[in-house]
This record gives sequence, structure tokens and C-alpha cells, in this order.
Amino acid sequence: MTLEVASVGAYAPRYRLPADGVEEVWGQFHGAGISETAVPAADEDALTMAAEAARLALSEGSVEPADVPRLLLATTTPPLEEGAVAARLASFLGCEDTVETRTFTAGTRAGVDALATGLEGDGPALVVASDAPRGAPDDEVEHAGGAGAAAFLLTADGGGPIRGRAERTAATPGTRFRPAGSDETTGLGIAPYDRSAFTDAVAAVADDLEADLGDADAVALQSPNGKLPYRAAGPLGVETAAIREGTTVHDLGDTGAASPLLGFASALEAGGESVVLIGYGGDGAAAIAFDVGDVAVATRLEGAETLSYGEYLRTRGDITPGEPDGGGAYVSVPSWTRTLPQRHRLVAGRCRECGDLAFPPEGACPGCSAFEAYDEVTLPGTGTVEAATVIGQGGAPPEFVEQQAREGAYVSAIVALDGPAVEDGRDGSAATVSTPAQVGTVGDESVSPGDRVEATIRRIYTQEGVTRYGFKMRLLE
Amino acid sequence: MRDVYLVGAGQSPFGAFPDRSYRDLFAEAYRAARDSVDRGLEAADVDEAVVGTLGVGGRQLGLSGPAVTEHVGLHNVPCSRVENACAAGGFAVRNAVQAIKSGFADVVVAGGYEVMTDLSDDVTKYWLGVSGETEWERLTGTTFSGLYAQMASAYMTEYGATAEDLSRVAVKNHGNGAKNPKAHLDFECSLEDAVDAPTVADPLNLYHCCPTSDGAAVAVLASGDVVAEYTDERIRVAGVGAASERVGLAQRDSYTGISASQVAAETAYDRAGVGPDDLDFAEVHDCFAIAELIAYEDLGFCEPGTAPELLREGRTDPDGDLPVNTSGGLKSKGHPIGATGTGQVVEAFDQLTGRAGDRQLEDPRPRYGLTHNVGGSGGASVVHVFEREREGVAR
Repeated sequence: MTLEVASVGAYAPRYRLPADGVEEVWGQFHGAGISETAVPAADEDALTMAAEAARLALSEGSVEPADVPRLLLATTTPPLEEGAVAARLASFLGCEDTVETRTFTAGTRAGVDALATGLEGDGPALVVASDAPRGAPDDEVEHAGGAGAAAFLLTADGGGPIRGRAERTAATPGTRFRPAGSDETTGLGIAPYDRSAFTDAVAAVADDLEADLGDADAVALQSPNGKLPYRAAGPLGVETAAIREGTTVHDLGDTGAASPLLGFASALEAGGESVVLIGYGGDGAAAIAFDVGDVAVATRLEGAETLSYGEYLRTRGDITPGEPDGGGAYVSVPSWTRTLPQRHRLVAGRCRECGDLAFPPEGACPGCSAFEAYDEVTLPGTGTVEAATVIGQGGAPPEFVEQQAREGAYVSAIVALDGPAVEDGRDGSAATVSTPAQVGTVGDESVSPGDRVEATIRRIYTQEGVTRYGFKMRLLE
Repeated sequence: MRDVYLVGAGQSPFGAFPDRSYRDLFAEAYRAARDSVDRGLEAADVDEAVVGTLGVGGRQLGLSGPAVTEHVGLHNVPCSRVENACAAGGFAVRNAVQAIKSGFADVVVAGGYEVMTDLSDDVTKYWLGVSGETEWERLTGTTFSGLYAQMASAYMTEYGATAEDLSRVAVKNHGNGAKNPKAHLDFECSLEDAVDAPTVADPLNLYHCCPTSDGAAVAVLASGDVVAEYTDERIRVAGVGAASERVGLAQRDSYTGISASQVAAETAYDRAGVGPDDLDFAEVHDCFAIAELIAYEDLGFCEPGTAPELLREGRTDPDGDLPVNTSGGLKSKGHPIGATGTGQVVEAFDQLTGRAGDRQLEDPRPRYGLTHNVGGSGGASVVHVFEREREGVAR
């Protein structure tokens, strides 16, 4: 069967690098039509952004993560070239271990490809595209490169049916590519060749679509920069306003595999009812036309702090010293893995003796010291700061030196996590359980006892080449 | 059970001695302790030794206890090492008391040692951070100053205490430490200095944090059966109490008090048959300024939230009604982790026997003194009450 879109979530990091900040340093800015780009925080990557977008999509739908049998992830910038990143996303979200996971990569078309694949089959399915392309410092890909993620929850009667779908392959070597072992995407920069490869492919799939693009409120077209999509408007037979309605490139930069999906989310927010997605990259194009009258959308795309170019290089880790010598606190990977339900999903325990919450649910009960079993409860992820400190520059322990080098002072706090709102039919939110946690801040945010916070997934630290992901908190708005 | 007496105590200077080994520092402390015993102490008299160290930097992780006691000629004397982070030295003294009370030993050497200043910044941060709860707490990127800063943030929020209140701890303890020839940071500081110092972990600044130090300290304890062979001036271990608490701060019921210290103090007072009002002085664990405020409350010197008043009114100054940290405390005298707890006992011995030099409390000479030694952010705590027995009063 063919599924329908039920809800969409979209996320972008909160740091922004303005075009003039780049121009100030390089004398020019190669990201045509882009005013600023989104920059991932030091503890963000394609996987954490995917989790953010997926949680937003799920928050708007009526499907629990455990009831999602298929999870499809698209990214050209997975944190590992080999490694089961989709399985980690499934763990962040709380999918069952029977969930089918698929990863789409190797071309910016991956997002639309994942969506096309997700639409065909039994539901529900969750499709997430997340990307943060990078290039050489003075390269067009780099100047245009932004960051963001979008997630689509697909169900049998979601409310956003497809009107048509098309796909074309065209071998165009030398357009956009990333050599093995490199984290810099590049291309030969043969402008007319690149341009016609793009225009020909997207025009061909548009042609193949049974739907008429001219009727669409928005065309969410792959946006490697802020100019190319508009050049394709003519060949596609659409108004530039429809292109504008379907892209986030001007404010977020090139979001790679997430680009058309983010454009779709943005068009939904603007009230579009008929949207066509067109992905391009990886030698070819793919298009899907939707009626989206009844699709819910939740986004978190606003910027909150403007970076200078120097701060940008620092945040990205280009000019930081790396892990210091001398050793750091050691938590073995197997023992970290044992605690993933807590690190990823805040699975706590309720004491069978006194009913108090325990986090992590092991050892004696913090309430009554009973050394008995716990019943599992998943906490909602909100909480209240009870105590907080700012670890100033130079004060971080060795395993957090790199994070501090990239992002400066950070907040380490104790947070009283809220209990489950409803448990066994009762309101359990009055009981809390405390945990140490970092509280991420941007701009002039500060953290004090009493502040309300919510959990999100971030990179905690990397040791022996293995990045440990876990929860951190952020201030609730 | 038999009474236990403190018949000698001594220490090396606390400070930065990166060229000295832990054995060398222990040797100086042992010599000072041995020489402080009125009628002398022979190695052959010692039945048992207990020493405390964290083993900062990983040097001689195994068997460092026998390594120091054999070094000073306590040949074939059973020695074991106690590890309770910053409370190791205090727990070593407690183990000595237990060994004597049980009848296992008549004379026990208790001590502690640490070398911390010869390490790179990164190695120091590694070693100092792993005495907290590692898997969850440390992996929020916190440090020890960070943990006490969290306690300070909770205390200041709950009771409205200020940066000035914290800074008064530094002013008082530096004033005392300036008179202590064994102190690491033996200089005075003004309230202005202590308020305006650079931030270490907000809200704690540099003057709210103790230094990392090198040093060693040794106490000699003897049973009531043999004490007369060593001295006529009897300093009795009147009471000892200890307790553990959850190692991670977030796991506790309160961040503005340390329950291990409260229980340890209650036990020690109970066994000594005295209360906080009977004390003539106290050495408390002021690794961070907030720790001294919290200690006043945990040890029953005042009600929760009122410790800043005690300081403001000068009641814990040397001329106040309960002088605290006449040695300079951890803040000024220094904090060589494993040696700190035994070092507090050295100050108690000196004050009770009239050997405290310019810091000596007089009119009258003190009779009851308390030492309070905390491990980590409160995962272990040990309290001793010492009593100078009045001449002619038989027990």
C-alpha cells in the first residue's frame, strides 16, 4: 500500500553564520543567495539533529515510537562512514528492536529517496533526513553549507496523500562528490556542466510527474545554494514564488539530503496545500507530489546566536586542540551500552517498596534504601534545575576539554526530572528524581535553580573513536 | 572498651614540593610525630600502621602503605592503606582507634600522604575528578569545584547567602594560616581580594577553593594500658563517628547539607558525652568555602542557613567562642588529599598540648577539640572529638 504523510517535524541548530561574516574573512562569499547558514553546536551532528526532527514529527502525530515498524534515515554526513547509525536513532527514539532500519546516503537525493521508499509498504513509517555538508574553507559547498533535519511520519490515513512520483538517473561524474576518507564535499566546479546536470534532471522528473507543477503552492526543490533552484523555475514551468515557498536555503544554507524535506516543512507552515518535492544529487533526481491539506507540522528552526567566522571555526572544531594527553575519566563502552535506556530515553525505576523514583534504576532505592527490584517507567524528559555551576574556560576535565574548546564555558547542573504525567491512571508528575546533567545554552541564556528544562539528545564525549550519545538538557521556553 | 590516647602527632610542611617523593614527605611527618612523643617512640613499640592516600597520578597504586612504613623503619609492622578520597587520613586515624579498642594493638601509627604538584594540569584534573560519581556525574563535564559550586548555588538560592559570605571563610582561614609555618598559602587576604578573585566554577572563585598540595601527616595512638609509658599529658580520643553517603550529589536528599557529616558528628558527640557547645576549637573540612559553611551546620554549631552569621559575627575567629581552622584549614594550610585528615589531628594535638606557637589558643588552654574530614563531595565523613584530660582526674 501507499502511505500518507501524517505529520512533519523540522529542526535546525541555533547558531548562525552570516554571509558577511565569511566575506569579511575571504573577501567574497560563494553561497549565492544565502544570507546566513545554520551551524551545528559542538555536541550536534546529523544523528542528533535527526532525533530532534523525529521527536517533533512524533509529537504532532498519534503514533508512539514503539509502534513505528520502519525507520528510514537519510544523510550524506553520517557521523561514521561505517557504523549502524540508524540503530542509534532507533534507540534515541525508543523504537522496538524489531524496527526495520534503512540508511540512505551517498547523494543529496537521499532524503527524497528515503521518503519514496518509506511511502511504499506497511505503516507507520518514520522517514528522517538530516545533514550538515562541509567543504574546503574557500569552496562554494563550504560557504553554502548549512545544517538541519526534517522528519516525516507516514501512516495509512495520514491526511497527506501523494499525487504522483517520478525518478530519473543520469550519470554526471564530477558534479558534487566526497572522496572516501574526506569530510569535505567538493565538485569540479564546471558551472555550465553542473547547472545543466541539475536542470535537466529536475525538469525530467517534473515532466514524468502526472501532477501539474504549475498548480502546486510550493515546489520544495533541492537547494545547494539560493540561486540554482530559481534558475530551474522556467524549465519546471513554475513561478519563482513557488520555489521560494519551498526552500529554507536562504536562512539555513544548503541542508543536503534534508533540503527538499525542510522546504516541504516550511511550505506546510506557510499553509501550502499542494507541495511537490524534488530531490537532486547522487546522479539523478526524484520527485513526489503531495496533497497536504491535513498534515500537522512542528518546527524548531529559529536561530538564537550569531557566530563570527572565528567562533564558527572554533565551534566546528577546526582550530581546537583535540583531546589532551594524560587520560580522562573512563567509562567502558560495554558499561555505557548497558545504560543506553537511561542515556537515550530516561528510563527510570519505581521502587516496589516505597514507590519513589530511581534514576538510573539500579542499586538501593534513593528513597527508602530498599535493595529490591524496580518497575520500569519512562520519564517525560522535563524537569527543574536544583543546582547549577558554570565550568569556565580551562576548567573542564580532560574528556570535556574538546567540547569546551569548541563551545566555551558550559553549565553542569542537577536537575529534578519530572515523574510520568500519567502512570497506571494516576498523575505521577508530583514525584521527581534527580540527575546530574549538562544544560546547553546559547546566546545570553543562563541557568539558575528553579529554571524549567527539557531533555534532548547530544554527543556527550568521544573516547577511543567512539562517540557516546546521551541526554543533555536545554531551557524550556 | 579501652580508652585510646593521642600521644604524638606531626606533619611535613604542606605545599608545592614537586621534587620530593611521597616516601620522603611521609618520613618527615613520621619523624616529627615520633619526636613529639614525650618519652619517645621506638619502631619496635608499633603494633600496627594505617595510612591514607588517594594515589594521585597513579604512582605506586598498590602497596604504597608498606612502601612508606618500611621506608621509615617500621619493619614487619602490618600496614594497610585506607582509601576514602579526601577523608582517607581521617579514616586512617579511626581505623587506628578501632585496632586499639579491639585489643588487637596497643600502639598504632596512623597517617596520610599525597604528592599532587608534580603533575601536568590535565593529569591533575583527571585524578581529582574521579572521586565523585564517575558514570553520570563526571560525564556532565563537572569537576570537584563544580560539585561544590552546585552545592553553593543551592545554598545561596535557599538561604540568600552571598559571595561575601563565602569569601569570609577565605579571609579567616588565610589569617590563621599566615601564622602557621607548615601552611601552603601562608599569607593573609582581604575581603576585597577574596570577593574579586577570578571565577573557577560559578559561583565559586579562586579564593573559595583550596590549593592542591604535597604533604604528609602522622599521628601516634596508644591504649590506656600503655599510655603512661609515653606521656603524662593525656589527650584522649573521646569520641569518633563516621558515615558514608551516596557518592553522587544528585542522588542525595539535600545539596545544602552532608548527611554523612551529620551522622558522624552525632555519633562522635554521643560517644564523647559532649556537644558542640563544649568544644573549644574545631578543624573542619573547608576544601571549598561553601564546605565550611555547611560544616558549621552539619556539626551543630548553628542552625541550617545561619552559618554566614557565625562568620560575620567573628564567632569562629581565633578570639571567638568557637575558633575554627586555627591551622588555616584546607584553604590556607593546604590539601594534600590523603594527608589532610591526619593533618587536622596534628593541629588538634598541638592546640591541646600547647604547642601551636603563634596560633595557640589560651585562657584557658583548650580542653575539647573536634576534627572533621570529608571525602569527595560528601561520600564519606569522619569526625573525632579529642579531650585533654585534666590532671589528677582519673577515668
